[in-house]
Amino acid sequence: MRSDVWIVIGGMALATYLTRAPLMLILARRPLPHRLRLWLRLIPLAVLPALAVPLIVLDHGRLAVSTTHPPLWGAAVVLVLAACRVNLLVTVAVAVGVVALVRALG
Amino acid sequence: MSAPRALRDGVVASLVVAPSVFVYGTVFGGLAVQAGLRTIETLGMSLLVFAGAAQFAAVPMLGAGASSLTIVLTTYVINMRHYLMAATLAPAFRGFPRRWVALVAHGINDESFAIAVARRNPPDPWFFIGSVLAVCGSFVAGVLVGTLLGGLVADPARWGLDFAFPAVFLALAVSQLHSRADWLAALVSAVLALGIALVLPGNWHIVITGVGVSTVGALVLDRDAA
Repeated sequence: MRSDVWIVIGGMALATYLTRAPLMLILARRPLPHRLRLWLRLIPLAVLPALAVPLIVLDHGRLAVSTTHPPLWGAAVVLVLAACRVNLLVTVAVAVGVVALVRALG
Repeated sequence: MSAPRALRDGVVASLVVAPSVFVYGTVFGGLAVQAGLRTIETLGMSLLVFAGAAQFAAVPMLGAGASSLTIVLTTYVINMRHYLMAATLAPAFRGFPRRWVALVAHGINDESFAIAVARRNPPDPWFFIGSVLAVCGSFVAGVLVGTLLGGLVADPARWGLDFAFPAVFLALAVSQLHSRADWLAALVSAVLALGIALVLPGNWHIVITGVGVSTVGALVLDRDAA
């Protein structure tokens, strides 16, 4: 396994770089057409909920929608605080605390 | 905004995820050493690959003697979401030397993308670089500590630290909602991603939702909405 480890790391590094660099280099070169700019503006609107929601609602790949699932309490806290425009650091700290608390009590 | 100021702001704005990134770095470092990797290999992977989810997936596969090709392909699929982030970030780096862009691209990560793009889209390039430095620094420092001491926190979830990541993504998603179309796009994305995550493993839900919703939105929305 020893010599293979660096080969695997190199392969992983290359595979990952191929997901990061090409579009960054191509799209940074020239002004973009209007539709493409609109498309790029919408990507975070789609990606942020897609990153967040499964992490909150799924537990080991299954739906976990019940009051005994601590991340739901954390998400409720985040939604309220974020809607009130509370600072991100405070929002996250409170949410993390609530999740830890609910887990400790549960 | 001046470059040093934006760089500093990017670092400061990313401190919100730094503790969780650091602790998960220690967990990764500890697991990697347990699985038989040396400190130098674990650090090398963290600097050269710098993609937490893929690294957590790779270590047990390495330990179990999976083929190199399988591990590399798994890494690629887990990281395909970077294509979307790279496309979104690229316009911020117009006029930058290509070597710089090639280097900055290596730093793309979920947290820096979320924090920088939620503030402004396209983001301030130096703000993004500052965020990458903070996230990368926290992660690599955590990995180093983890390889030397083992995971510091046996179960980060017990302290709610796992929840810092969805909390940041969710709070930033809320901060992006300005128009009715934004709400619609975000709600559709949430439901779609959940549905896909229930049936497909890995990170396909992020890739498919990201491409699908933004493409439909760009085709349907009024030109003036941009």
